[in-house]
Amino acid sequence: MAGPAHPHAMAPPTPGRTRAAPPQTPSTWWGSKRIMTYLLFDATGIVYFLVAFVAIRLIRDLGDGPLAWARAMESLQHPIYIAFHVLCLIAVIFVAVRFFRLFPKAQPPTIGPAKPPPAAVIHAMLYVIWIGITAVMTAILAGVIF
Amino acid sequence: MKTILLRLEPIIWLLFGQGILIGTMLLTGWILVVGILIPMGMVDAEALSYARAHSLATASLFGFVPLGKLILAALLVLPLWKGAHHVRSLLIDFGGGERDGIVGTLLYLIAIVGSVMAIMAVVGL
Repeated sequence: MAGPAHPHAMAPPTPGRTRAAPPQTPSTWWGSKRIMTYLLFDATGIVYFLVAFVAIRLIRDLGDGPLAWARAMESLQHPIYIAFHVLCLIAVIFVAVRFFRLFPKAQPPTIGPAKPPPAAVIHAMLYVIWIGITAVMTAILAGVIF
Repeated sequence: MKTILLRLEPIIWLLFGQGILIGTMLLTGWILVVGILIPMGMVDAEALSYARAHSLATASLFGFVPLGKLILAALLVLPLWKGAHHVRSLLIDFGGGERDGIVGTLLYLIAIVGSVMAIMAVVGL
């Protein structure tokens, strides 16, 4: 009777390089809805970069005094700035909706002895917090409260 | 450079993750009011007059927690890290991973410079 099979009997003496092709974006990326959505999610990074630097400039102007602040606020009335901020708002909402959908799936099966709440509850909590913070910030910045 | 980026990965991912979560939550109201409603005249510009904007930015909780500055710092710094990491990912998708070490380092350096500028601006209020 033959002996037990040795799992490495046919393996080459030295480990070779994997023959798997390196991951790359397919040339038909523009025709695939899933890849386009994924790439758009990444591309929102450009918008976040720009909006952060615009906000930093505003706060620097706030620190420079009333004249600099007034000039900065006036510059935001330019149609290009308004169009940019509309694009930013769309990007931020897109990121929120996509990220909040991914977030429950990324939770570990257990957190210590406890299990995380059901995905629907986590999803709903994120929306409640996001809408709540947005409503409070909008009301404060618009002068409705405080 | 790639080795340094791999070592810093936990910090980068922490800032990136908070950039998506906290950055997005804070940016929505900010963009809506500061970038759209006030410039379009739908909200009175006096709502963010210099005096009011400055008092909001320097508001404190219980007299010693600089709440306004903390919120502003998060709003300015965290989106930079979300931006840097996602632009890096986008460039890998289109340009491959060979230049990732230098591209990633450059993008995170921009985020670091931006973060320092933001913190200095907030502290200087």
